[in-house]
Amino acid sequence: MWDNLTIREAVEYAKDPYPSIRKWIKDKGKKVVGSTFADVPEEVIYAFGFLPVTIMGTNKPLKKAPSHLPDNACSLARSNLELVLSYEGDLFDGFVLPQVCDTTQHLSDIWRINFPDKYVESYLAPRQADRPSARYWVKEEITRVISSLSDWSGRKIADKDLWEAIEVHNENKNLLKEIYEIKKKNPSSLTNKELFALMKLSQQVDKAELNQSLKKIKESLRYEQNDEYTNVILVGITCDPPEIYDLFDESKLNIVGDTLLVGTRYIQGIVPTNGNPVDALTERHFRRGFFSPIHDNVYKNFEEVKTLYKETKAKAIIYVHIEFCESQEYDLPDLKRMIRDEGILMHTLDTEYQTLSLSHVRTRLQAFFESLKGGSL
Amino acid sequence: MSEKLTSKQMSKKITDEYMDEAFHAHENGKLIGYSTAISPVELFVAHDIIPIYPENHAVANLTAKKGAELCSVVEGMGYTSHLCAYARSDLAYRKTGITVTKGIPEPDLFLACNAQCFTLTKWFQVLARKGNLPVFVFDTPEYVMDKKTREEIVKYCVLQLKELIGFLEEVTKRKFDYDRLKEVMKLSAESSILYRKFLDMAQYKPSPISIFDALIGMAIAVYRRGTQECVDYYQTLCDEIQAKVDQGIGVLPKEKEKYRLYWENLPVWFKFSDHAKLLGSYGGVILTSLYVHAWSFEFNLDKDPLVTLAENYVSRFSNSTIEDRADMAAELFKKYSMNGMIMFMNRSCKAVSFAVPTLKEILTKRTGIPALVFESDMGDQRFYSETQIRTRIEAYFETLDRLQFEDTQ
Ligand code: SF4
Ligand code: SF4
Repeated sequence: MWDNLTIREAVEYAKDPYPSIRKWIKDKGKKVVGSTFADVPEEVIYAFGFLPVTIMGTNKPLKKAPSHLPDNACSLARSNLELVLSYEGDLFDGFVLPQVCDTTQHLSDIWRINFPDKYVESYLAPRQADRPSARYWVKEEITRVISSLSDWSGRKIADKDLWEAIEVHNENKNLLKEIYEIKKKNPSSLTNKELFALMKLSQQVDKAELNQSLKKIKESLRYEQNDEYTNVILVGITCDPPEIYDLFDESKLNIVGDTLLVGTRYIQGIVPTNGNPVDALTERHFRRGFFSPIHDNVYKNFEEVKTLYKETKAKAIIYVHIEFCESQEYDLPDLKRMIRDEGILMHTLDTEYQTLSLSHVRTRLQAFFESLKGGSL
Repeated sequence: MSEKLTSKQMSKKITDEYMDEAFHAHENGKLIGYSTAISPVELFVAHDIIPIYPENHAVANLTAKKGAELCSVVEGMGYTSHLCAYARSDLAYRKTGITVTKGIPEPDLFLACNAQCFTLTKWFQVLARKGNLPVFVFDTPEYVMDKKTREEIVKYCVLQLKELIGFLEEVTKRKFDYDRLKEVMKLSAESSILYRKFLDMAQYKPSPISIFDALIGMAIAVYRRGTQECVDYYQTLCDEIQAKVDQGIGVLPKEKEKYRLYWENLPVWFKFSDHAKLLGSYGGVILTSLYVHAWSFEFNLDKDPLVTLAENYVSRFSNSTIEDRADMAAELFKKYSMNGMIMFMNRSCKAVSFAVPTLKEILTKRTGIPALVFESDMGDQRFYSETQIRTRIEAYFETLDRLQFEDTQ
């Protein structure tokens, strides 16, 4: 189903992948295990023969979530909960849910209590990443999730199953990386919206199939230099709704680097292929870039962004702030200051998952983009 | 022989001496460690680092109704209005110096334990960045229900406590003394038992203490545990309350004590005494909350100190699953014979509040007791709607009255 998509179809599927997932699991007789951001090892879920699906909100109206999470909960957490409570809950047989911040502290409890008939497991990611104990803990957690999935499914997996899953996932990330590289140098080869749709879809559908499409899409790309574009960097967790990318595209802005979970941070999750698979998955956790909301050092975030900016010769940084994400909000004033002190232009974009009209964002972004192009930078 | 001090006098003396020592720490070759209220401060005490709790300082300012003023300042610094009011008021204090106390000394290092919340980690990081100071994050994964997982969590936490000791040794260039830690643990265990005994006196009818007494009496357990004076203070406090019990003295007279209430979440600090009076006028006394119980540790001195520290700190109510939290609260309902509950949705504290709607569902189902849920902010008056909350409280007591009336029919 996802193995022969054109780029246009991929964008459509990425907007709402659920009908296709529904049909696919019916055909394949597979189970679906959902997770939310971040760092749940999808390969493990895949190795059990389940389809791992990262849940990334909905822009349909909030009906049930507000009675469980108040309006100052982050837009992503509320939107994810809404998606499963009101719209797509039946699709999922279970969930592996990470804990990363105050908002997500009790989320797996809330999901477990609301879905008594489904499998709900937590993934307790460490909130410190620089000490040896963090490594110990990640390994323990991966091992625990494997044994929990095993208890639930009544199945055991061998190293071979994990390596196979890792291979499919690595291939997916490598393909995305290659496509991204092409786009960076040849901005007219595919739009920002298309690139990030591929990143998103990759985290929601069967990768073995999607990889076939990615290969063909990659082959079909036109390698054309185009000087009309201005390079920018995107910083944050996610950037939704996808129509925001249209605004970049309309203004001929080329996203040449990012720190998004539905972006570079996903691609950085390529797993090393030596040793034993659990060690390799553990190692991957620490190879990934800094994840601002949970890690313990904003300087790293800043350094990473600065390096990216310099390497890509970008003209500005767009920071995507998810409404009410307090983890971002504690870092943002200092990050802004550090970036400004470097003489780098930065624009903060406030996003909200239930946004239907982008007129407000459009006006602000366009004004920024115009100053960017007209300015002396 | 000098006359024995009352608990109130002792509290003042302990606090004054503690702050005095803190302000002169560097002159005496000591360091100031900022700590989260729930964190294994026993390690600080054993290593002669003076713990300072920016939260406590924030409470003083918020109780004195400085919240709105301070919080507005911090918004001008680029922070949003829905962050924790402790953090907001503290960041504003750093900028303006506005405080109703003498302020708090500047830190040398930070210990952030997220058993309470992750906010404190972020907040301490902001402070640490200003002075380029070291922060240790003691990461406590949610204490999930599975027994084997809990064992793993404790192991992870013990590893981190060892790392914490290494961190302290590095910062202070002094070797850590495990024997001293054992002594500190003994004192901490003793005072924790006495502190719980004090809280548990709310079981008596009429209750000699309300949650407001508990909140006042809590301070020493937060910042002086692990010391002899902390033990002495709670012994005196318990003796005093026992004397009240013996004389049948309650917060409300026995015949007036109609509703024995549970409170979920932190208090609305700037409404502290108003709430006590208002509820009292309806025959209601708030007896307890999981919040005040968060410092009634049960250290097992037969175990390796690091293990019992890890077990205790990781299992605080704020770090437990909602179901476990409901069990803990239900236990208190039974023990204290409570017949009402006020569930405060505190905009400031997402870590504690986001569990509240689910917790309310479970608790009302289990106890059959209706709940009053209201939303506000613990420290920022701009989010407090006087008339709305008053009306809700009135309506709640009417419901309780009606239910009681129906019961007696
Ligand atoms: S890190 Fe931010 S966006 Fe993610 S769940 Fe937490 S509050 Fe929401
Ligand atoms: S009030 Fe809540 S968010 Fe604020 S410091 Fe305390 S536990 Fe953390």
